[in-house]
Amino acid sequence: MRITRSMVAGLALLLIAATAMAEEKRWVSSEGTTLKAEASATSENVADVLVGAEVTVVESGGRWLKVRTTAGKEGWVYAGRVSETPPASEVAGGDGGIFGDSMKSSQIKTAKADSARSIRGLSPGAAQYAKDRGTPEIYKKSLDVVLSRKVSPNELKAFLKEGKIGEYAQIQGGKK
Amino acid sequence: MRFLLLFVLIALSVSSSSASAGFFDQIQNLAKPDSKERKILEGATQVASSSKEIDYQTERNIGESLALEGLQRFGNPVKNEALQKYVNLVGTALAVNSKRATIPYQFAVLDSPVQNAFAVPGGVVFVSRALVSILDDEAELAAVLAHEIGHVSMKHALKSTQRAQLLQGVGTITAASVGGDKGKKFASAIGDMQAVLFDKGLDKEMEFEADLAAMETTYRTGYDPSAMIRVLEKLQKLEASSKDKKGSWFSTHPPLAERIARLQSQLKKYPDYSSLAEVKERFAKQAKVK
Repeated sequence: MRITRSMVAGLALLLIAATAMAEEKRWVSSEGTTLKAEASATSENVADVLVGAEVTVVESGGRWLKVRTTAGKEGWVYAGRVSETPPASEVAGGDGGIFGDSMKSSQIKTAKADSARSIRGLSPGAAQYAKDRGTPEIYKKSLDVVLSRKVSPNELKAFLKEGKIGEYAQIQGGKK
Repeated sequence: MRFLLLFVLIALSVSSSSASAGFFDQIQNLAKPDSKERKILEGATQVASSSKEIDYQTERNIGESLALEGLQRFGNPVKNEALQKYVNLVGTALAVNSKRATIPYQFAVLDSPVQNAFAVPGGVVFVSRALVSILDDEAELAAVLAHEIGHVSMKHALKSTQRAQLLQGVGTITAASVGGDKGKKFASAIGDMQAVLFDKGLDKEMEFEADLAAMETTYRTGYDPSAMIRVLEKLQKLEASSKDKKGSWFSTHPPLAERIARLQSQLKKYPDYSSLAEVKERFAKQAKVK
Protein backbone atom coordinates (compact mmCIF):
# COMPACT_ATOMS: atom_id res chain seq x y z
CA MET A 1 0.00 0.00 0.00
CA ARG A 2 1.37 3.35 -1.03
CA ILE A 3 1.56 6.04 1.53
CA THR A 4 0.07 9.12 -0.01
CA ARG A 5 0.54 12.72 1.03
CA SER A 6 -3.06 12.94 2.07
CA MET A 7 -2.63 9.96 4.38
CA VAL A 8 0.36 11.62 6.05
CA ALA A 9 -1.57 14.86 6.41
CA GLY A 10 -4.52 12.98 7.87
CA LEU A 11 -2.32 11.22 10.39
CA ALA A 12 -0.72 14.52 11.39
CA LEU A 13 -4.15 16.07 11.95
CA LEU A 14 -5.18 13.12 14.08
CA LEU A 15 -2.04 13.48 16.20
CA ILE A 16 -2.65 17.19 16.68
CA ALA A 17 -6.26 16.52 17.66
CA ALA A 18 -5.20 13.83 20.14
CA THR A 19 -2.66 16.18 21.73
CA ALA A 20 -5.25 18.93 22.08
CA MET A 21 -7.70 16.52 23.70
CA ALA A 22 -5.07 15.37 26.17
CA GLU A 23 -4.61 18.90 27.42
CA GLU A 24 -7.07 19.59 30.20
CA LYS A 25 -8.85 22.90 30.28
CA ARG A 26 -9.76 24.69 33.47
CA TRP A 27 -11.41 28.01 34.21
CA VAL A 28 -10.38 30.46 36.91
CA SER A 29 -13.30 30.57 39.35
CA SER A 30 -12.03 32.47 42.37
CA GLU A 31 -11.55 36.16 42.89
CA GLY A 32 -7.98 37.29 43.51
CA THR A 33 -6.25 34.34 41.82
CA THR A 34 -2.52 34.60 41.13
CA LEU A 35 -0.26 32.19 39.27
CA LYS A 36 2.82 31.31 41.30
CA ALA A 37 6.34 30.40 40.23
CA GLU A 38 6.20 27.25 42.37
CA ALA A 39 3.48 25.14 43.96
CA SER A 40 3.43 27.28 47.08
CA ALA A 41 1.37 30.29 48.15
CA THR A 42 4.49 32.04 49.36
CA SER A 43 6.41 31.70 46.08
CA GLU A 44 6.82 34.52 43.59
CA ASN A 45 3.82 35.86 41.66
CA VAL A 46 3.85 35.16 37.93
CA ALA A 47 0.56 36.73 36.85
CA ASP A 48 -2.86 37.72 38.14
CA VAL A 49 -5.67 35.85 36.42
CA LEU A 50 -9.29 36.92 36.28
CA VAL A 51 -12.43 34.96 37.06
CA GLY A 52 -13.60 33.27 33.85
CA ALA A 53 -10.13 33.08 32.26
CA GLU A 54 -9.40 29.78 30.48
CA VAL A 55 -6.17 27.97 31.33
CA THR A 56 -4.60 24.71 30.21
CA VAL A 57 -3.20 22.23 32.71
CA VAL A 58 0.38 21.32 31.87
CA GLU A 59 1.34 19.56 35.10
CA SER A 60 -0.36 18.35 38.25
CA GLY A 61 1.10 18.11 41.72
CA GLY A 62 -1.30 17.29 44.53
CA ARG A 63 -3.59 20.23 45.19
CA TRP A 64 -1.59 22.45 42.86
CA LEU A 65 -1.77 22.62 39.08
CA LYS A 66 0.74 24.09 36.67
CA VAL A 67 -1.29 25.93 34.06
CA ARG A 68 -0.76 27.98 30.93
CA THR A 69 -2.88 31.03 30.18
CA THR A 70 -4.14 31.87 26.71
CA ALA A 71 -1.44 34.56 26.67
CA GLY A 72 1.15 31.82 27.11
CA LYS A 73 2.12 32.52 30.73
CA GLU A 74 2.76 29.47 32.88
CA GLY A 75 2.52 29.18 36.62
CA TRP A 76 1.13 27.15 39.53
CA VAL A 77 -2.35 27.66 40.88
CA TYR A 78 -4.11 26.12 43.88
CA ALA A 79 -6.60 23.61 42.45
CA GLY A 80 -9.51 25.08 44.46
CA ARG A 81 -9.22 28.30 42.48
CA VAL A 82 -10.08 26.74 39.14
CA SER A 83 -13.00 24.60 37.99
CA GLU A 84 -13.69 22.12 35.22
CA THR A 85 -16.50 24.22 33.80
CA PRO A 86 -16.60 27.97 33.14
CA PRO A 87 -18.16 29.98 35.99
CA ALA A 88 -21.63 31.31 35.28
CA SER A 89 -21.48 34.83 33.94
CA GLU A 90 -22.92 37.47 36.19
CA VAL A 91 -25.88 38.42 34.05
CA ALA A 92 -27.41 40.76 36.56
CA GLY A 93 -24.16 42.54 37.27
CA GLY A 94 -22.22 42.85 40.44
CA ASP A 95 -19.90 45.38 41.84
CA GLY A 96 -16.90 43.19 42.25
CA GLY A 97 -16.01 41.36 45.43
CA ILE A 98 -13.15 42.35 47.67
CA PHE A 99 -10.83 42.21 44.68
CA GLY A 100 -13.09 44.65 42.83
CA ASP A 101 -10.26 46.35 40.97
CA SER A 102 -9.09 43.10 39.47
CA MET A 103 -12.45 42.74 37.80
CA LYS A 104 -12.07 45.85 35.70
CA SER A 105 -11.00 44.03 32.58
CA SER A 106 -12.76 40.78 33.36
CA GLN A 107 -14.87 39.28 30.65
CA ILE A 108 -17.76 38.93 33.06
CA LYS A 109 -17.69 42.48 34.30
CA THR A 110 -20.78 44.48 33.47
CA ALA A 111 -21.30 48.14 32.87
CA LYS A 112 -23.12 48.32 36.20
CA ALA A 113 -20.03 47.50 38.16
CA ASP A 114 -18.57 50.90 38.79
CA SER A 115 -21.78 52.56 39.87
CA ALA A 116 -22.73 49.67 42.11
CA ARG A 117 -19.32 49.52 43.74
CA SER A 118 -20.21 52.62 45.67
CA ILE A 119 -22.68 50.55 47.71
CA ARG A 120 -21.33 50.61 51.21
CA GLY A 121 -23.70 51.21 54.02
CA LEU A 122 -27.46 51.11 53.55
CA SER A 123 -28.43 51.44 49.86
CA PRO A 124 -30.74 54.32 48.88
CA GLY A 125 -33.62 51.99 47.96
CA ALA A 126 -33.50 50.22 51.31
CA ALA A 127 -33.19 53.55 53.14
CA GLN A 128 -36.36 54.73 51.40
CA TYR A 129 -38.09 51.43 52.22
CA ALA A 130 -37.14 51.90 55.88
CA LYS A 131 -38.54 55.41 55.82
CA ASP A 132 -41.82 54.29 54.23
CA ARG A 133 -42.20 51.41 56.69
CA GLY A 134 -41.18 53.45 59.71
CA THR A 135 -38.36 51.03 60.54
CA PRO A 136 -36.90 51.96 63.94
CA GLU A 137 -33.62 53.86 63.69
CA ILE A 138 -31.72 51.26 65.71
CA TYR A 139 -32.17 48.59 63.01
CA LYS A 140 -31.11 50.98 60.24
CA LYS A 141 -27.98 51.84 62.20
CA SER A 142 -27.26 48.16 62.90
CA LEU A 143 -27.55 47.23 59.24
CA ASP A 144 -25.42 50.18 58.26
CA VAL A 145 -22.63 48.87 60.51
CA VAL A 146 -23.01 45.33 59.09
CA LEU A 147 -22.78 46.65 55.53
CA SER A 148 -19.79 48.84 56.19
CA ARG A 149 -17.54 46.00 57.40
CA LYS A 150 -14.87 45.20 54.85
CA VAL A 151 -12.22 42.53 54.52
CA SER A 152 -9.17 43.56 52.52
CA PRO A 153 -7.30 41.10 50.27
CA ASN A 154 -4.29 41.33 52.60
CA GLU A 155 -6.39 40.63 55.69
CA LEU A 156 -7.85 37.61 53.94
CA LYS A 157 -4.43 36.24 52.96
CA ALA A 158 -3.13 36.69 56.52
CA PHE A 159 -6.23 34.94 57.89
CA LEU A 160 -5.87 31.93 55.58
CA LYS A 161 -2.16 31.73 56.30
CA GLU A 162 -2.69 31.81 60.06
CA GLY A 163 -5.29 29.05 59.82
CA LYS A 164 -3.16 27.02 57.34
CA ILE A 165 -6.13 26.87 55.01
CA GLY A 166 -6.23 25.98 51.30
CA GLU A 167 -3.11 27.08 49.50
CA TYR A 168 -1.50 27.82 52.87
CA ALA A 169 -2.03 24.29 54.17
CA GLN A 170 1.16 22.44 54.92
CA ILE A 171 0.24 19.12 53.46
CA GLN A 172 2.83 16.39 53.26
CA GLY A 173 1.82 13.23 51.47
CA GLY A 174 -1.83 14.07 51.75
CA LYS A 175 -1.78 14.30 55.54
CA LYS A 176 -2.53 17.29 57.68
CA MET B 1 -33.12 31.23 53.11
CA ARG B 2 -32.99 29.92 56.55
CA PHE B 3 -30.23 27.49 57.08
CA LEU B 4 -32.20 24.75 58.68
CA LEU B 5 -35.24 26.49 59.94
CA LEU B 6 -34.29 25.06 63.24
CA PHE B 7 -36.60 26.68 65.63
CA VAL B 8 -35.82 24.66 68.70
CA LEU B 9 -36.53 25.25 72.35
CA ILE B 10 -38.09 28.69 72.54
CA ALA B 11 -39.23 28.77 68.96
CA LEU B 12 -40.72 25.33 69.24
CA SER B 13 -43.04 26.29 71.98
CA VAL B 14 -44.01 29.75 70.90
CA SER B 15 -43.88 29.92 67.17
CA SER B 16 -44.74 26.62 65.67
CA SER B 17 -47.09 28.49 63.35
CA SER B 18 -44.13 30.20 61.79
CA ALA B 19 -42.58 26.92 60.96
CA SER B 20 -42.27 25.58 57.49
CA ALA B 21 -45.15 23.18 57.20
CA GLY B 22 -44.84 20.98 54.17
CA PHE B 23 -41.78 22.81 53.11
CA PHE B 24 -39.51 19.88 52.69
CA ASP B 25 -41.84 17.02 52.07
CA GLN B 26 -43.22 15.23 49.04
CA ILE B 27 -40.08 15.38 46.96
CA GLN B 28 -41.20 12.30 45.11
CA ASN B 29 -44.20 14.21 43.81
CA LEU B 30 -41.89 16.34 41.72
CA ALA B 31 -41.77 13.52 39.22
CA LYS B 32 -45.53 13.53 38.69
CA PRO B 33 -46.51 15.90 35.85
CA ASP B 34 -49.75 17.08 37.45
CA SER B 35 -48.58 17.31 41.03
CA LYS B 36 -48.73 20.54 42.97
CA GLU B 37 -45.02 20.26 43.66
CA ARG B 38 -44.22 19.92 39.98
CA LYS B 39 -46.28 23.00 39.15
CA ILE B 40 -44.53 24.98 41.84
CA LEU B 41 -41.19 23.88 40.47
CA GLU B 42 -42.21 24.91 36.96
CA GLY B 43 -43.39 28.23 38.31
CA ALA B 44 -40.06 28.67 40.04
CA THR B 45 -38.28 27.93 36.81
CA GLN B 46 -40.26 30.61 35.03
CA VAL B 47 -39.49 33.10 37.73
CA ALA B 48 -35.87 31.99 37.56
CA SER B 49 -35.59 33.33 34.05
CA SER B 50 -37.24 36.58 35.06
CA SER B 51 -34.96 37.04 38.04
CA LYS B 52 -32.10 37.44 35.63
CA GLU B 53 -33.71 40.70 34.58
CA ILE B 54 -33.30 42.17 38.04
CA ASP B 55 -30.10 44.16 38.12
CA TYR B 56 -27.70 43.99 41.01
CA GLN B 57 -28.63 47.37 42.47
CA THR B 58 -32.28 46.31 42.68
CA GLU B 59 -31.34 42.92 44.09
CA ARG B 60 -29.31 44.73 46.72
CA ASN B 61 -32.21 47.09 47.54
CA ILE B 62 -34.49 44.08 47.96
CA GLY B 63 -31.92 42.26 50.08
CA GLU B 64 -31.22 45.13 52.43
CA SER B 65 -34.93 45.82 52.89
CA LEU B 66 -35.37 42.15 53.81
CA ALA B 67 -32.37 42.42 56.12
CA LEU B 68 -34.09 45.26 57.99
CA GLU B 69 -37.13 43.02 58.49
CA GLY B 70 -34.89 40.14 59.55
CA LEU B 71 -33.15 42.21 62.20
CA GLN B 72 -36.48 43.24 63.67
CA ARG B 73 -37.58 39.63 63.80
CA PHE B 74 -34.42 37.92 65.04
CA GLY B 75 -32.58 40.67 66.88
CA ASN B 76 -29.68 43.02 66.35
CA PRO B 77 -26.10 41.86 65.77
CA VAL B 78 -24.11 40.66 68.77
CA LYS B 79 -22.01 43.52 70.15
CA ASN B 80 -18.65 41.86 69.74
CA GLU B 81 -16.58 43.44 67.00
CA ALA B 82 -13.88 40.74 67.08
CA LEU B 83 -16.49 38.04 66.53
CA GLN B 84 -18.18 39.97 63.72
CA LYS B 85 -14.82 40.54 62.03
CA TYR B 86 -13.94 36.86 62.41
CA VAL B 87 -17.21 35.74 60.81
CA ASN B 88 -16.61 38.18 57.94
CA LEU B 89 -13.13 36.75 57.39
CA VAL B 90 -14.41 33.16 57.25
CA GLY B 91 -17.34 34.22 55.06
CA THR B 92 -15.22 36.23 52.64
CA ALA B 93 -12.70 33.40 52.31
CA LEU B 94 -15.59 31.23 51.11
CA ALA B 95 -17.35 33.87 49.01
CA VAL B 96 -14.37 34.38 46.71
CA ASN B 97 -14.54 30.66 45.90
CA SER B 98 -18.33 30.51 45.55
CA LYS B 99 -20.40 30.18 42.40
CA ARG B 100 -20.92 33.92 42.52
CA ALA B 101 -17.56 35.30 43.51
CA THR B 102 -17.89 38.74 41.99
CA ILE B 103 -20.32 40.45 44.34
CA PRO B 104 -19.57 41.79 47.82
CA TYR B 105 -20.81 39.76 50.80
CA GLN B 106 -21.24 40.77 54.42
CA PHE B 107 -21.81 38.51 57.41
CA ALA B 108 -23.20 39.11 60.89
CA VAL B 109 -23.97 37.12 64.02
CA LEU B 110 -27.39 38.06 65.40
CA ASP B 111 -28.17 38.01 69.10
CA SER B 112 -30.87 35.40 68.74
CA PRO B 113 -31.60 32.35 70.95
CA VAL B 114 -32.99 30.46 67.97
CA GLN B 115 -30.71 28.22 65.91
CA ASN B 116 -31.03 29.73 62.50
CA ALA B 117 -29.21 31.31 59.59
CA PHE B 118 -30.51 33.12 56.57
CA ALA B 119 -29.24 35.17 53.67
CA VAL B 120 -30.92 37.92 51.69
CA PRO B 121 -30.54 38.62 47.98
CA GLY B 122 -27.40 40.53 47.09
CA GLY B 123 -25.11 38.95 49.65
CA VAL B 124 -25.88 39.76 53.29
CA VAL B 125 -25.71 36.62 55.44
CA PHE B 126 -26.92 36.28 59.03
CA VAL B 127 -26.27 33.51 61.51
CA SER B 128 -27.71 33.37 65.02
CA ARG B 129 -25.64 33.31 68.19
CA ALA B 130 -27.47 30.10 69.14
CA LEU B 131 -26.40 28.32 65.96
CA VAL B 132 -22.77 29.43 66.34
CA SER B 133 -22.87 28.14 69.93
CA ILE B 134 -23.45 24.51 68.86
CA LEU B 135 -20.53 24.50 66.39
CA ASP B 136 -17.12 23.07 67.27
CA ASP B 137 -14.71 24.37 64.67
CA GLU B 138 -14.17 26.88 61.88
CA ALA B 139 -14.97 24.31 59.18
CA GLU B 140 -18.46 23.92 60.66
CA LEU B 141 -18.99 27.68 60.70
CA ALA B 142 -17.71 27.72 57.11
CA ALA B 143 -20.26 25.06 56.15
CA VAL B 144 -23.15 27.14 57.54
CA LEU B 145 -21.95 30.34 55.84
CA ALA B 146 -21.22 28.53 52.56
CA HIS B 147 -24.75 27.08 52.58
CA GLU B 148 -26.13 30.62 52.83
CA ILE B 149 -23.72 31.92 50.17
CA GLY B 150 -25.11 29.12 47.99
CA HIS B 151 -28.63 30.52 48.37
CA VAL B 152 -27.39 33.99 47.39
CA SER B 153 -25.36 32.76 44.44
CA MET B 154 -28.26 30.75 43.05
CA LYS B 155 -30.70 33.61 43.76
CA HIS B 156 -33.06 31.25 45.57
CA ALA B 157 -35.09 33.91 47.38
CA LEU B 158 -35.72 35.81 44.17
CA LYS B 159 -36.78 32.62 42.44
CA SER B 160 -39.11 31.72 45.29
CA THR B 161 -41.77 34.26 44.71
CA GLN B 162 -43.95 34.87 41.73
CA ARG B 163 -44.10 38.48 42.84
CA ALA B 164 -40.45 38.89 41.95
CA GLN B 165 -41.57 38.28 38.40
CA LEU B 166 -43.45 41.56 38.53
CA LEU B 167 -40.15 43.29 38.92
CA GLN B 168 -39.20 42.06 35.47
CA GLY B 169 -38.66 45.03 33.24
CA VAL B 170 -39.00 47.43 36.14
CA GLY B 171 -35.31 48.10 35.91
CA THR B 172 -33.43 49.65 38.74
CA ILE B 173 -35.52 50.52 41.73
CA THR B 174 -33.96 53.53 43.31
CA ALA B 175 -34.84 55.70 46.25
CA ALA B 176 -36.66 58.04 43.90
CA SER B 177 -38.94 55.31 42.56
CA VAL B 178 -39.67 53.38 45.75
CA GLY B 179 -42.53 55.70 46.57
CA GLY B 180 -44.33 55.29 43.22
CA ASP B 181 -45.91 52.43 41.32
CA LYS B 182 -42.62 50.60 41.17
CA GLY B 183 -42.45 51.05 44.90
CA LYS B 184 -45.74 49.20 45.42
CA LYS B 185 -44.44 46.27 43.43
CA PHE B 186 -41.23 46.47 45.40
CA ALA B 187 -43.04 46.41 48.75
CA SER B 188 -45.20 43.47 47.60
CA ALA B 189 -42.15 41.53 46.55
CA ILE B 190 -40.49 42.23 49.90
CA GLY B 191 -43.61 41.01 51.68
CA ASP B 192 -43.66 37.78 49.71
CA MET B 193 -39.99 37.08 50.16
CA GLN B 194 -40.23 37.82 53.86
CA ALA B 195 -42.90 35.12 54.14
CA VAL B 196 -40.69 32.67 52.27
CA LEU B 197 -37.52 33.43 54.18
CA PHE B 198 -38.91 33.75 57.69
CA ASP B 199 -42.12 31.68 57.72
CA LYS B 200 -42.67 29.19 54.91
CA GLY B 201 -39.05 28.45 54.11
CA LEU B 202 -37.40 27.84 50.79
CA ASP B 203 -38.12 24.98 48.46
CA LYS B 204 -36.70 21.65 49.55
CA GLU B 205 -34.63 21.24 46.41
CA MET B 206 -33.11 24.66 46.99
CA GLU B 207 -31.93 23.48 50.42
CA PHE B 208 -30.32 20.43 48.84
CA GLU B 209 -28.68 22.62 46.23
CA ALA B 210 -27.32 24.91 48.92
CA ASP B 211 -26.02 21.90 50.90
CA LEU B 212 -24.10 20.62 47.89
CA ALA B 213 -22.83 24.11 47.06
CA ALA B 214 -21.64 24.45 50.66
CA MET B 215 -19.64 21.27 50.40
CA GLU B 216 -18.06 22.35 47.12
CA THR B 217 -17.24 25.87 48.34
CA THR B 218 -15.76 24.74 51.65
CA TYR B 219 -13.67 22.14 49.81
CA ARG B 220 -12.41 24.60 47.23
CA THR B 221 -11.48 27.02 50.01
CA GLY B 222 -9.60 24.34 51.89
CA TYR B 223 -11.98 23.46 54.73
CA ASP B 224 -13.03 19.90 55.46
CA PRO B 225 -16.27 19.52 53.44
CA SER B 226 -17.62 16.84 55.78
CA ALA B 227 -18.21 19.65 58.31
CA MET B 228 -21.57 20.24 56.60
CA ILE B 229 -22.61 16.72 57.58
CA ARG B 230 -21.39 17.22 61.15
CA VAL B 231 -23.52 20.35 61.50
CA LEU B 232 -26.63 18.57 60.25
CA GLU B 233 -25.92 15.68 62.64
CA LYS B 234 -25.73 18.14 65.55
CA LEU B 235 -29.10 19.50 64.56
CA GLN B 236 -30.43 15.97 64.27
CA LYS B 237 -29.40 15.32 67.88
CA LEU B 238 -31.14 18.48 68.99
CA GLU B 239 -34.19 17.36 67.11
CA ALA B 240 -34.11 13.95 68.78
CA SER B 241 -33.79 15.43 72.26
CA SER B 242 -36.66 17.81 71.74
CA LYS B 243 -39.60 16.69 73.85
CA ASP B 244 -42.42 18.65 72.33
CA LYS B 245 -42.72 17.23 68.87
CA LYS B 246 -46.45 17.12 68.36
CA GLY B 247 -47.55 20.09 66.31
CA SER B 248 -44.09 21.48 66.54
CA TRP B 249 -41.78 22.52 63.84
CA PHE B 250 -40.05 19.16 63.98
CA SER B 251 -43.16 17.31 62.92
CA THR B 252 -43.05 19.11 59.59
CA HIS B 253 -39.32 19.41 59.50
CA PRO B 254 -37.24 18.95 56.39
CA PRO B 255 -35.81 15.47 56.72
CA LEU B 256 -32.32 15.93 58.06
CA ALA B 257 -31.62 12.25 57.47
CA GLU B 258 -32.23 12.68 53.76
CA ARG B 259 -29.98 15.71 53.58
CA ILE B 260 -27.24 13.90 55.47
CA ALA B 261 -27.57 10.85 53.20
CA ARG B 262 -27.27 12.99 50.09
CA LEU B 263 -24.22 14.75 51.47
CA GLN B 264 -22.56 11.50 52.47
CA SER B 265 -22.98 10.30 48.92
CA GLN B 266 -21.53 13.59 47.65
CA LEU B 267 -18.56 13.28 50.00
CA LYS B 268 -17.18 10.52 47.74
CA LYS B 269 -16.32 13.31 45.34
CA TYR B 270 -13.74 14.54 47.85
CA PRO B 271 -11.59 11.51 48.75
CA ASP B 272 -8.99 13.68 50.51
CA TYR B 273 -11.56 15.51 52.66
CA SER B 274 -10.20 14.36 55.99
CA SER B 275 -6.86 16.05 55.32
CA LEU B 276 -8.45 19.48 54.99
CA ALA B 277 -8.60 22.22 57.62
CA GLU B 278 -10.95 22.21 60.63
CA VAL B 279 -9.26 25.00 62.63
CA LYS B 280 -10.57 24.19 66.10
CA GLU B 281 -8.33 26.42 68.22
CA ARG B 282 -8.94 29.70 66.45
CA PHE B 283 -12.67 29.02 66.40
CA ALA B 284 -12.69 28.30 70.14
CA LYS B 285 -10.87 31.56 70.77
CA GLN B 286 -12.88 33.76 68.41
CA ALA B 287 -16.40 32.39 68.56
CA LYS B 288 -17.15 32.67 72.26
CA VAL B 289 -20.91 32.90 72.28
CA LYS B 290 -21.81 30.05 74.60
